[in-house]
Amino acid sequence: MKDFHELVVAAVREEIPGVARTVVFDVPVALRATFGWQAGQHVTLRFRIGGEEVRRSYSISSSADAGDPLRITVKRVEGGLVSNHVNDSIEPGARVDVMAPFGGFVLEPEPRGRRTCYLIGAGSGITPLYAMLRTILVAEPWSAVHLLYGNRNADSILFLGELSRLEEAYRNRLTVRHVLSRPEWGSPCWRKGRIDAEAIEAWIAENPPYAQDAQYFVCGPGEMNRTVISALTSIDVPTRRIHMESYGGSTDVEDTVAGVAAVAEIVLGGRRTDVPVAADQTLLAAARAAGMEPPFSCEAGVCGACRAELVKGTVHMRSKAALTDDDLADGSVLTCQSVATSARVGVRYCP
Amino acid sequence: MPKRMLHRLPVEAYTELDWFEREQEAIFSRTWSYAGFAEDVSEPGAYVSLRAGLNEIFVVMGRDRRLRAFHNICRHRGTRLLRAVGNAQKAITCPYHDWTYDLEGHLVSVPAEQREFGEVDKSCLGLKPASVDLWRGMLFVHPSPDAGSIMEWFGEIEPHLGPHDVDELVEYPDGRASYEIKANWKIVVENYIDVYHLAHLHSGTLAMYDHARAEYGFVGPHYAFWEPLSADYAADIERNAPMPLILPPGQLGAWVPMLFPGIGLAESETSWSTYTITPLAPDLTRVENRTRVKNASDWAFGRQAWRSAGFWKGAITAKYDAGEDGDPLTSGDFTAEDVLACERQQQALRSPYFEVGPASRGEGPVLEHQEVVLRYLEGRT
Repeated sequence: MKDFHELVVAAVREEIPGVARTVVFDVPVALRATFGWQAGQHVTLRFRIGGEEVRRSYSISSSADAGDPLRITVKRVEGGLVSNHVNDSIEPGARVDVMAPFGGFVLEPEPRGRRTCYLIGAGSGITPLYAMLRTILVAEPWSAVHLLYGNRNADSILFLGELSRLEEAYRNRLTVRHVLSRPEWGSPCWRKGRIDAEAIEAWIAENPPYAQDAQYFVCGPGEMNRTVISALTSIDVPTRRIHMESYGGSTDVEDTVAGVAAVAEIVLGGRRTDVPVAADQTLLAAARAAGMEPPFSCEAGVCGACRAELVKGTVHMRSKAALTDDDLADGSVLTCQSVATSARVGVRYCP
Repeated sequence: MPKRMLHRLPVEAYTELDWFEREQEAIFSRTWSYAGFAEDVSEPGAYVSLRAGLNEIFVVMGRDRRLRAFHNICRHRGTRLLRAVGNAQKAITCPYHDWTYDLEGHLVSVPAEQREFGEVDKSCLGLKPASVDLWRGMLFVHPSPDAGSIMEWFGEIEPHLGPHDVDELVEYPDGRASYEIKANWKIVVENYIDVYHLAHLHSGTLAMYDHARAEYGFVGPHYAFWEPLSADYAADIERNAPMPLILPPGQLGAWVPMLFPGIGLAESETSWSTYTITPLAPDLTRVENRTRVKNASDWAFGRQAWRSAGFWKGAITAKYDAGEDGDPLTSGDFTAEDVLACERQQQALRSPYFEVGPASRGEGPVLEHQEVVLRYLEGRT
């Protein structure tokens, strides 16, 4: 199981003054291997705020392939405990508990490959996409990137300056198109409105793939992701070329289904333990209550750290944002989101 | 002692069906094949079909504007599905029994399925995929779905090609030609990469380049060649260029690579052309040319032709002054000169008295190309 490590904040930068802040961590040499990451992965931060332990996962907004330092970019969420804490209180020199990077929404560079990568994001969803974009430009000299980025207005665009500088520097390999729902006069706006099926079709027609190994990376609120995926599949993009992560906004939570009291057979590290599960308790909570130490991180169904294989019985997942349709078909469940719906269930944490 | 051709391959490699078939299998079915210009398949549903060695392949654009390549054979009885070029809209139907595939290659309908078959598992009868990619404004296909990145094939040679931005150039319709040469494909390639002949066979037709300063060599299986403009042509290039220049003044010259197998390019200061070589028989080869030029108005081309007319009047001459009508050596056309040289070489192979002399320095690439062919036939790649 992954542990938290205390990292020192090397620098903070107001990304959008009063709205979003980038925090750069100093990773000591001894932890470099532990804190290596692939573009698209995230880290979990642990804070004690008002006596409560809270954890949040944030995508890493920099690229190790480009030699960048580890950094996250956090936008304030209205009423958000951690996002406001980071924006208000984290200063250089601060010590923060950080778990090693992980996550399955990754772009693995293929230095000899030649791809057309379509990145589609909205709001904070840019953070993993920005890391991917940097990786492709630096580590895949023959690949091209097209970014479609949705925001409310020009003032809410993260990395606006960095993106236009990169577009200038990689003129033949990068295009950036902004979709703004409330653009002001003179905004860098390719299209007004939201990222919808029409926008996707127009964008791809305008930027058809040159390299034919086309890959699509989608990261935004659940609603945008659904729209984008249905737009892509409706023009016959094969699903194996689409990679997705939910981010921000309202995730799709289905908590109307009640669980039942059950016994869970939990296999962790090769050992099976039978654990009682209360009707409204998640399998993860039940396992921890029984003294087991299964992996977990965000406890929101987003990060996938607590993923296990369902081998017996049935469960209801309140959220399954971190799982793809293929994962679901393979029997993967998120234990932090699963309540039992049969009297006996069995899950196995992957070794 | 078998007779040899300059000096690595036996004469039979240029005359025998057995060699031809081995090359079709070991070279033309295992490498990337040129399949046309990018704009040939530029709208969803548009397709081209072609032969790539022993394979029949078609390339079609999906609604996501990504190209797909499939083997052009129905999974029922192998009938060829598509011919030449066209627009398939949403489905591809085999003419034989009307089996129908979507543009992803999935088998979507089998006529009278219940009555004729009971049930057909369509999911395992999709079209067999091949690979396709775009590079330098050209379409390429590979028979294997796992061909890998096309840059693994062309990445090393690319820095030795011209600085042209091919996608910015437009096709010049009059530059399109297709003709047969009665010679083995390797003779056609060898003529293309023979540096020695440039100053001799083409003494009157390619004198605007300084052959003595040519730089050339192989990079993997591909051949790179560059030569500068001749001094008098370069002296007033703005006036002398027959068409609008497509390179900045500091980067003029002619890059004339021969990509393996048989994909020649001619990248000059005013035009960018393909010279693609397709073996048809041991002694018969098709050559197709297409040309791109600057995206400029007819007026700009007319003005440049007029300005340069004085220079070109004296610059192109026939090799010989007088001769029979239609003698390529009096034509003043370097392509006609090359065709003649290739066909005479092929004819000579039949003579019992045929024997080659020494290879010059400028014919070094010929020997090296023969080595590449041997490597492929012997599986040493």
